[in-house]
Amino acid sequence: FFLGKYDYDLVIIGGGSGGLACSKEGKPWVCTKWGLGGTCVNVGCIPKKLMHHSALLGGAVRDAAKYGWSIPDKVSHDWQVPGSAVQNHVKSLNWGHRVQLQDKKVKYLNLKGRLVDEHTVVGTNRSGNETVLTAENIVIATGGRPKYPANVNVALECAGFLTGIGQDTTVMVRSIALRGFDQQMAGLVTSHMASHGTRFLWRCVPKKLEKLPSGNLQVTWADTGSGHEEWDTFDTVLWAVGEAPETKSLNLEGVGMALNKDTGKIIVAEDEATSVEHVYAIGDIGEGRPELTPTAIKAGKLLARRLAGVSSELMNYRSVPTTVFTPLEYGCVGLSEEEAERQHGKDTIEVYHAFYKPLEFTVAERDASQCYIKAVCQRSGDGRILGLHFTGPNAGEVVQGFALGLQCGATYSHLLATVGIHPTCAEELTKLHITKRSGLDPTVTGC
Amino acid sequence: MTHYEEVKVHGYDEFCKAVSERKGKDIFAYFSGDKDAQGVSWCPDCVKAEPVVRGEMAHLPEGSVFIYCQVGDRPYWKDPNNDFKKVLKLSGVPTLLRYGTPQKLVEEECFKSDLVRMMFTED
Repeated sequence: FFLGKYDYDLVIIGGGSGGLACSKEGKPWVCTKWGLGGTCVNVGCIPKKLMHHSALLGGAVRDAAKYGWSIPDKVSHDWQVPGSAVQNHVKSLNWGHRVQLQDKKVKYLNLKGRLVDEHTVVGTNRSGNETVLTAENIVIATGGRPKYPANVNVALECAGFLTGIGQDTTVMVRSIALRGFDQQMAGLVTSHMASHGTRFLWRCVPKKLEKLPSGNLQVTWADTGSGHEEWDTFDTVLWAVGEAPETKSLNLEGVGMALNKDTGKIIVAEDEATSVEHVYAIGDIGEGRPELTPTAIKAGKLLARRLAGVSSELMNYRSVPTTVFTPLEYGCVGLSEEEAERQHGKDTIEVYHAFYKPLEFTVAERDASQCYIKAVCQRSGDGRILGLHFTGPNAGEVVQGFALGLQCGATYSHLLATVGIHPTCAEELTKLHITKRSGLDPTVTGC
Repeated sequence: MTHYEEVKVHGYDEFCKAVSERKGKDIFAYFSGDKDAQGVSWCPDCVKAEPVVRGEMAHLPEGSVFIYCQVGDRPYWKDPNNDFKKVLKLSGVPTLLRYGTPQKLVEEECFKSDLVRMMFTED
């Protein structure tokens, strides 16, 4: 259709998971500041999973001896090697995105964007020169920048792989780990880490950070449990913290956009609209949105299609599966047990659970005491599955398929009717039969 | 007098020598199947891409190097163990790449003048 008034149909601020997905669906204009790919590619999921894998391989090398391989007694790790390999991979992903955008005739500008009004964006380059753009619609997909202090699953994942590659690592937790996740499962994840060499400082808050003449860092903290102050020295301190959106530099308050007072995130409707007409927000910057790459990507694509008038489909944020890539991985989809109790009442839900042992752990003599599965179901009828939780190897791979089941409204009856693949860890989900309510021992015995 | 240096090489060893003699420079490399006595390559995509790439060379950065490398004959190229595939990790010809970076354009991507220009002009 004839546009007339505005330079572009759509301007997207932010070239991460959400922004890129949205741009590849239409013909907009993208501004971004990290390398293309945003948090996920450059400093998030991609490097994280590769480092996690790096650490897991250390464990596999040690296990290999028990499976007959001749492994030298001392196996050491050189951080630089995966470090540069990961950097190269990230750069090739940035280039891949760049080629894709160019190919799809998306105009990409390496500028820092801010809103002037609901149809105008100003982009500033490194030298401070400004470019003014007008658009029919604007999408904000700028995600978050690290702020401190707060505890997020990223802290555990980092501590996990650092311990795995042989670093003496300590995690300080203000209150609870994996806030928002099922707390029983969070406990299994952290117990596993603690029994494998990660030191935890529970209910402690950092008070002071000083650089010593030796170059080391001295951290002083308050133990809110005992009330005492303690300190220790470290080579490196990592603030693996929550993120805050860059609302000031975007000038969101200046255009009168409604933000959540506590988090600073943009309040969004189910169609990703903000309180300012013609301006939308996707990805981490939206209040209440899961801070996950796949949801940002999907939301971005669907939004682009709606704005182009090609579809009216909204993003479904329910039953989004996710995995925490700690040394003992935790995958889940649907509700936590606590949330299911809150929404449905304890008496109307049934929780099936099992402690299992991955076959490969047996010969390797690995500790499986935190390998656990639970299915939170409705008690009535066929027992609709409300949530599935799994700790164990390859948790992400295991849970992905079951997420499809939840999308289709799977019930406990369906689970029982599903034949397991043997021998796997995933099959244990199809064999769940001990309920928490029964009080019986949920430990799986051998086959 | 162009603002870039063009170097013509034939085969893997000559390529490596040309690169090592130009350390610190911004090096673009174009890999093509060998041309016969009439100047026609055995690789039809290379024949198609070359004018496109040459057409954008005016956009090469100041002081950069453009290495035009003939990789060898068709049987040499088809061998999966040839040095270009094993060491440089080339997957096909033509390939246009920026040495030492992940920036590369492979096969049909080289037919697109805007992609070639993008590689020559962006950081």
